[in-house]
Amino acid sequence: MIKLPENGPAHWALRIGAFVLVLAVVWWIPANTESATVGLMADGFALIIAAMSLNLVLGYAGLVSLGHAAFFGIGGYTTAILVKDHGWSPGWTFYAAAAIAFVIGCIVALPALRLKGVYLALVTLAVAVLFPQLMKWRKLEWLTNGAQGIDSVRYEDVPTWPIIGELRGREGRTEFAYWLAFVVLVIAYLVCRGIVKSRVGRSLVAIRDNETAAAVMGVNLFAMKTLVFGVSAALCATAGSLSTLRTGVITPDDRYVTLLGSIVFLLVMVIGGAGMLWGPIAGGLAYVWLDDVTRDAGAGGDGIIANVIDLFFGWSDQSAATFILAVLLIVVMFVAPYGIVGLLKRLSRKIVVVVPAPVGPASPPRSDPDTQSVSAASTT
Amino acid sequence: MERFFQYFFDGLSVGAIYTLLALGLVVVFRGTGHLNFAQGEMAMFCTFLVWQIQDWGVPLWISVLLGMVLGFLLGAITEVVLIRPIAKRSAGAVFVITIALFLGLNSLASMIWGALPSEAMPNLFPDEPDDFVRIFGAVWRYESIGILVVALVLCGLLFAIFAKTKFGLAMRAVASNSDSARLVGIRTGTVLMASWGIAAAMGALSGSLVAGSNGEVTSNLMFTVFIYASAAATLGGLDSPGGAVIAGLSIGVVENMAAGYFPLWIGQEMKLSVALLTIFVVLLVKPSGLFGSTRIERV
Repeated sequence: MIKLPENGPAHWALRIGAFVLVLAVVWWIPANTESATVGLMADGFALIIAAMSLNLVLGYAGLVSLGHAAFFGIGGYTTAILVKDHGWSPGWTFYAAAAIAFVIGCIVALPALRLKGVYLALVTLAVAVLFPQLMKWRKLEWLTNGAQGIDSVRYEDVPTWPIIGELRGREGRTEFAYWLAFVVLVIAYLVCRGIVKSRVGRSLVAIRDNETAAAVMGVNLFAMKTLVFGVSAALCATAGSLSTLRTGVITPDDRYVTLLGSIVFLLVMVIGGAGMLWGPIAGGLAYVWLDDVTRDAGAGGDGIIANVIDLFFGWSDQSAATFILAVLLIVVMFVAPYGIVGLLKRLSRKIVVVVPAPVGPASPPRSDPDTQSVSAASTT
Repeated sequence: MERFFQYFFDGLSVGAIYTLLALGLVVVFRGTGHLNFAQGEMAMFCTFLVWQIQDWGVPLWISVLLGMVLGFLLGAITEVVLIRPIAKRSAGAVFVITIALFLGLNSLASMIWGALPSEAMPNLFPDEPDDFVRIFGAVWRYESIGILVVALVLCGLLFAIFAKTKFGLAMRAVASNSDSARLVGIRTGTVLMASWGIAAAMGALSGSLVAGSNGEVTSNLMFTVFIYASAAATLGGLDSPGGAVIAGLSIGVVENMAAGYFPLWIGQEMKLSVALLTIFVVLLVKPSGLFGSTRIERV
């Protein structure tokens, strides 16, 4: 076991190394893989952003939400309507979508001020089921085009960005969607990090752990809950805009617009690790990978995992992807309650431990690293 | 007036189905304080089992009974294997598990019996075009009367169990205070297991009724029914069985009348939103529902 002092040169080297590695992988994908993989990753980034937004509400503040598919849909529909009917440039619709979703998120947060647990789950479930119904409603057809949805929502000409160069045609559009999603993902991560590591984030965790105690300590429940729901809805709507812009289509029956979307966001968040910044990222990547592999297995693909899946689920002509995910979710709940990231943290702690710098000028030097790592484990 | 009675009676009949599922939700909630989001999917899965059994040549009503027994086992095993170990940790974890069950059972049913090319399910009651009686000028089909009667008989049976038997007393004791119940020697584990079993068995029956009157079983058979049922359970108060019956029947009636009298604004396609708005408004105004008890939390 190696001990690294926090913020020492070795710790910084580790951070920079990880950063460079991530950047290299992100750079490598569009240059060296097929267009289909790039598109898959772009969808994956949007999914990760949606799961991040759910993580803020459920992972940190402990407010159950099954309604995030509706926010995702609000983003998608706002972008589609503004681009098609009002001729906006797609880039600007992101802000409009986020603003609308923020307001609606704050309204949905109103029940959350009084309700907890299953009751809140029921209200948000109602929101998620109501949204596609509303979009199909005959009286709103002038706006939403009913059950058919809105199609061919896309950039007429893909803008040219400095580093990635000029992109043309169908494949260029996919690659642009990939980079756009990546940039938004980085921004979303920074927003979440900013919230979580601040006073607001600590208030949220306090609300999650004990609401009454948090109120007694001076946390403004009304402001915090409304704020976190609004920000989370805005983030989720951004993911919806990205996804619509990438596929060019939105209908009320899209996978992430119906209740199934909320369930997938929840699944991604829990499998990755709820209440951890990297959780949705790990969960989203795992989801994309697993979805792809199981589809491969269904199409008679090769590889060890495809063969194993074929061995167990070959008797069915339907895709086993969802079933495997559901089983995985149950297994994760039992074996690794803090998800993939929690598991990785626990394992890596056996190899490298970052020792926090002593707090305050007067505190004595810490002599027992074992108790520290235990206390660090219990606070993550 | 004729139209009124028609909507009223049709509403009662669908409301009876919601009641069965809502009672299942309430029975589980009273015991453990968890809402089983997989209740509808468990019912759907059991309905497929019923279809399978009757497809093997077993008489329909016997296969429904067998399906209910299998449903009981499914519910009981779920409680023991999946819910109980995780319930010690947190309520949120149980929520995730029920969502996983929802997803898993749904996809498993599609994998076994195929997705939408559905299986034809025979009706449990005579449903020839002329199988009806006229009361107050409205058409009362035997099928609807049958559903209503079966549902009400089962509710009556359940209430008799609650009120008269020793097991019912134990269930009420666990619902009111599980720790004290354990102290006086009630096997709370068995009671909870049986609650889940009973809930799933009632789900199997309501699923068979729905599938029979739709004429087919599909993997999304119970989804809307589950939404209506959870609206009913919420309106009645999540811990009140009597409330679930009254709320279930009235949601059926209100939903049918709303769709019937406002065909342009609500109609068949927006019927579900009546139930959804019910959930929203009830929880916003009076979270404990009409007949539920408010719980006071101590820090």
